[in-house]
Amino acid sequence: MSSLQAIQQQMLQAVLAEKSRPPQMVRDDAIADASSRLEVYRHGYRIRLRDALKVEFAGLQCMAGARFESLLDKYVAAHPSEHYNIRWHGSGLPGFLAYAHPWREKPQLAEMAKLDWAMSTAFDAADESHIGVADLAAVPPASWAGLRLTLQHNLQVLACVYNTDAFRRAADRNGRRPHLRRYAQPRQLLVWRLGTGVHYRRLDDDEWQVLGAAIQGETFASLCASLAGHHGEAAAMARMVALLTRWLGAGLIHGWVLP
Amino acid sequence: MAPSSPPRPGPLPYLGYGLGLRVEHYEALLANPGKVEWLEVVSENYMVGGGLPLVWLERFRERFALVMHGVSLSIGSTDPLDENYLARLAALAKRIEPAWVSDHLCWTGVQGVNLHDLMPLPYTEEALAHVVDRVKRVQDLLKRRILLENVSSYISFADSQLSEWEFLAAVAERADCLILLDINNVHVSAKNHGFSSLDYLRGIPVSRVQQFHLAGYEQGERLIIDTHDAPVSHAVWDLYVEAVRRFGRISTMIERDDNFPPLSELMAELERARALAEPLLKDAA
Repeated sequence: MSSLQAIQQQMLQAVLAEKSRPPQMVRDDAIADASSRLEVYRHGYRIRLRDALKVEFAGLQCMAGARFESLLDKYVAAHPSEHYNIRWHGSGLPGFLAYAHPWREKPQLAEMAKLDWAMSTAFDAADESHIGVADLAAVPPASWAGLRLTLQHNLQVLACVYNTDAFRRAADRNGRRPHLRRYAQPRQLLVWRLGTGVHYRRLDDDEWQVLGAAIQGETFASLCASLAGHHGEAAAMARMVALLTRWLGAGLIHGWVLP
Repeated sequence: MAPSSPPRPGPLPYLGYGLGLRVEHYEALLANPGKVEWLEVVSENYMVGGGLPLVWLERFRERFALVMHGVSLSIGSTDPLDENYLARLAALAKRIEPAWVSDHLCWTGVQGVNLHDLMPLPYTEEALAHVVDRVKRVQDLLKRRILLENVSSYISFADSQLSEWEFLAAVAERADCLILLDINNVHVSAKNHGFSSLDYLRGIPVSRVQQFHLAGYEQGERLIIDTHDAPVSHAVWDLYVEAVRRFGRISTMIERDDNFPPLSELMAELERARALAEPLLKDAA
């Protein structure tokens, strides 16, 4: 190991450790002792990460309340940052909350962090074009059955057992903290970006079934058959048209592939 | 493979007086750009797939000359250069065609961990050779000279054989790169380590300095903390005057990273920089 490597590794450990003495190669002098000097870096590391995470997890802050900062501090202590962009350190927070004691006893926190993080990643995901109703007029009628929709890559669907969306909404609107509610069955929350705006909304059961199938690359005929299972043959097509119109309006559909 | 010589385009332009672009001032700056002549953008904030950050960036690009300023190149780290980072940096530079690209003379992480801080190097021959090699590689990849900024520091290493300014000057000369001289950081490090800020300025080769930063700090109990969250101090204004006397007409900007005041306050600081520098430059001419 080179001397430069050794210095950097010792400094790294000294900054990350919960309690540490300065490495011997750090100079003391009359202005300040080595411990005070090292402490500037130790303190700065923790504050910078905490401040960056605060920005990314507005819903979690609303839900966790007074425990929010200590939660972030525990995460930062347990997980050193590995990404050059400081905000990407947030990618591991939902997983941390899901397994680490005592947070795992409150699974709503991990679910909330997942929604916050989905919104963060959608915010600056790659730009993609989307089609409108008029574009679909170009599909030959005989090709509809085999058509497969291609959806935006930034689109995410989260299974929510709690009313996490209400907490995020309260955070974004500076509103009152809602009461926590737990659903008997998970509800699906759609997160996506249209232009520069990040959106989220709950999916109806039938919509999730069809959208999920579309994400999997099922044909249009399969999507219609899936809806027929919910609504019967007669009403399925009308519902499909309504869903398709809604998806097109929301910019969810990038294009289509014909067989 | 040994790095080849970096391409040597002509001298970089003089841009005048600028500001660091921050989200907090997006709307105010577009509504009233005042006498702001150029903007420095934090590279990593725009090394993203798309969305709002790049929409704003394009708006500013239509109105201002831009330069890119990174915080995560980690040129002094003993980890391998991050190829993914460099590819994204190069892509952004290709997209917005900045007047130049800069980062810091420091390391930000090692062993795959990022400290998100500008960690000082030991000023040794070993570190010098290491940094010079990496600067050359980066310049080859970006096909341009880069600027390296002096960082504020709170520690120094027993191994150091050179002063900070000797090290910075040697990196610039041997790697054929340029210098972004942060006047505030010179002052902060001088106070924290007990050296003369004027000696520092005198040790920096005039021909290598391309840009000045001006910023504020916080007086700690024993050390000065470079917070970049306060107005430029009297001491830093004084040192700026000395820097203008030594280095001449250098593109200068106010860099505020936190505790953001109304844009008008930063513009007033920028006008103070102009008012201090221009008479000196006129006399020199």
